[in-house]
Amino acid sequence: MTVPAVVLSICLSFSSFAALALSLDRHHRAVFRVPAPRNRTRGLRVAGWCGLAVAFAASVACSGWNFGPVQWIGGLTGAALLVVAVMSYRPAWLRAAAVAALPLAMLALPFALGS
Amino acid sequence: MSHAPRKSFRQSMAWLHTWSGLVVGWVLFAIFVTGTASYYRTEISHWMRPELSAPTADPATAATRAAAFLGRTMPDALAWSVKLPTAEHPTAEVYWWNNPAGPYHHALLDPATGEPSHARDTKGGDFLYRFHFELSLPPVWGRWIVGICAMILLVSLISGIVTHRRIFADFFTFRRDKSAQRGWLDAHNVVGVLALPFHLMIVYTGLVELGPLLMPWGVKAAYQDDILAYYAETGIMAAGRKPAGQPGTLMPLGEIVARATAAHGEVPEVVMVTGPGDAAASVTAFFEEPPGLAHLHPQIVYAGDTGAELSRTGDVAAATRTGAVMTGLHEAHFAAAPLRVLFFICGVMGAATIASGLVLWTVARAPKGADPAGFGLRLVRILNLGTIAGLPTGLAAYFLANRLLPLDLVGRADWEVRGFFAGWMLAALAALLYPKARAWPAALGVAALAFLAIPLVDALTINETRFLGFDAAMLAVAMLLALGARLASRPRRQMRAAQPNRSRAVEA
Amino acid sequence: MSARPMPGLTDRLSVAGRVVLAAFGGYGVAALSTALFALALPLPRSEAVSTGTLASFAIMAGAVVWVFSARTLRRAALVLGVIAALLAAGLWLAGAFSPMVVP
Repeated sequence: MTVPAVVLSICLSFSSFAALALSLDRHHRAVFRVPAPRNRTRGLRVAGWCGLAVAFAASVACSGWNFGPVQWIGGLTGAALLVVAVMSYRPAWLRAAAVAALPLAMLALPFALGS
Repeated sequence: MSHAPRKSFRQSMAWLHTWSGLVVGWVLFAIFVTGTASYYRTEISHWMRPELSAPTADPATAATRAAAFLGRTMPDALAWSVKLPTAEHPTAEVYWWNNPAGPYHHALLDPATGEPSHARDTKGGDFLYRFHFELSLPPVWGRWIVGICAMILLVSLISGIVTHRRIFADFFTFRRDKSAQRGWLDAHNVVGVLALPFHLMIVYTGLVELGPLLMPWGVKAAYQDDILAYYAETGIMAAGRKPAGQPGTLMPLGEIVARATAAHGEVPEVVMVTGPGDAAASVTAFFEEPPGLAHLHPQIVYAGDTGAELSRTGDVAAATRTGAVMTGLHEAHFAAAPLRVLFFICGVMGAATIASGLVLWTVARAPKGADPAGFGLRLVRILNLGTIAGLPTGLAAYFLANRLLPLDLVGRADWEVRGFFAGWMLAALAALLYPKARAWPAALGVAALAFLAIPLVDALTINETRFLGFDAAMLAVAMLLALGARLASRPRRQMRAAQPNRSRAVEA
Repeated sequence: MSARPMPGLTDRLSVAGRVVLAAFGGYGVAALSTALFALALPLPRSEAVSTGTLASFAIMAGAVVWVFSARTLRRAALVLGVIAALLAAGLWLAGAFSPMVVP
């Protein structure tokens, strides 16, 4: 439940939700101007769902079984809200943001686990 | 027999969602706003009592002094309650009553002297917290109304989920560039769905918390309405002892606090003396919830005259523990700062879901361009404006009153509360007078200005750096409201649908 | 759905009937269930009461959804009535309505 743990959870969830959003035709077109080819859609969906699972595991690892699931769900809401906000107002930034979230998550990881 | 074509399940749920949401939307908006604010109830109370800083005495001394005060004030009370001072609550908060139905008298005492604290008379964040589940009404009435609204909200959530056809495909969809109806529907869906786990959790756990009042039938059937026996058997409460009917003397309360501290390993949060004037008085020490989700307070009960331990709470079994976890989730005491921010955001999204739903109701039913015909639609518009923009204005007025009212005003705390309601009502009445096209921008603008005034007034009156966080938060709220006012003042894009399309309004 | 004729009195009464049935019937079924769970569940008394109370709000919500999705008001009332009668019978069997014998 510490700040690094929440940051880790939100960053992982943000990238995952961005991937899932981009796997949908409408949003892919909003960001890239072309519809997503079939294999990219599948790849994005797999990456997205796996990422959400990793975020769950990270939350439980950092905050235990009591608080971990609660923190994960809260982080899901925050991350999804960020994805919607970015996609509504600055769609071109979504890919960069999703990619940038990953090293930020890596940075938070040792602090999150250590506490 | 009805002449309308038979409705599908989804259509009947759409109808149910629209009307159940409307009927309780305004009250629920107030419940959500004050509830979300209550996540920061302690911080609000701090800000509203700037005279207080660190506790001036240790808990045991404070307990003895408080007991002396209570002994002078109501020696033959049914019970006294003393909340011991901590760094977060630097005063000793005492209650005393001689009737279970009230009135419950209340005072904040200086821990060192046992005299009423010199902090300004205010209800602090507790007013918002109580309003959240009592609506400033007599407790049983208020809680029943909140309970009924919560039951209807549960139905609204379920029917909303059934109605939302494309809940996954439209998960991230927010179309701002199409019609107003589309935009508001998308907004309603986004804030509703993204925080859906929170919304479902908060409404069900809220109902469970009000369970003893709303659904007492289990206790009535199995315990013949003896709810204390139920609490004792579950392990939620430790058993006390019956009054002797003879007068007796209490040992110094600080002694018992010291024993409880030694027995449990930490200082109790609250100490309650049952039957203080009686020979069989008992003193219950309530401890803070252990780490975890369950809202359970370990208790040790001591004999009031000898200090001997009478009973303790034990383990709590699965079903009761589930209920305690639900209460814990609702109150979120366990949440450290970052998680509390997430809960707060979810609460704001809940309020936004309700507000966007209320606005959507009028947008979806208003004929294009034309003045709204019916009285019903105008009433809904007015109530929307008065609640969604008025309530925040009232909240700001409450905080401003805290800084501006004279310190020695008699009944100051009640005047602050009147300020809350006056601010709300005035904002709502003013909204009636604004020209229709400017009503929303004006009302939101007024709310924004009211919140902007808070840090300014605070800087002029108190001016302490430890309140910068609160003031910054008020500024952030002001900017959000100002942003809302700006968005509301943008010229309406050309609407596409000419007819009010009722079915499409709710079928995403 | 295109514009349809304004709802007549029968329609309005039917809707009102559903609202009343959902509110009182839904609450009634939930209340009866809570009492029955408290008496009949094979758990310690306190646990049975806790379980009943926890489940009650879901039962009420379910009953309300049923009332509004049933094909006719009559069918909704019938089903709810039968369920309530069964619950009441269960309660009677469990001894809820007999006077308590004080030991």
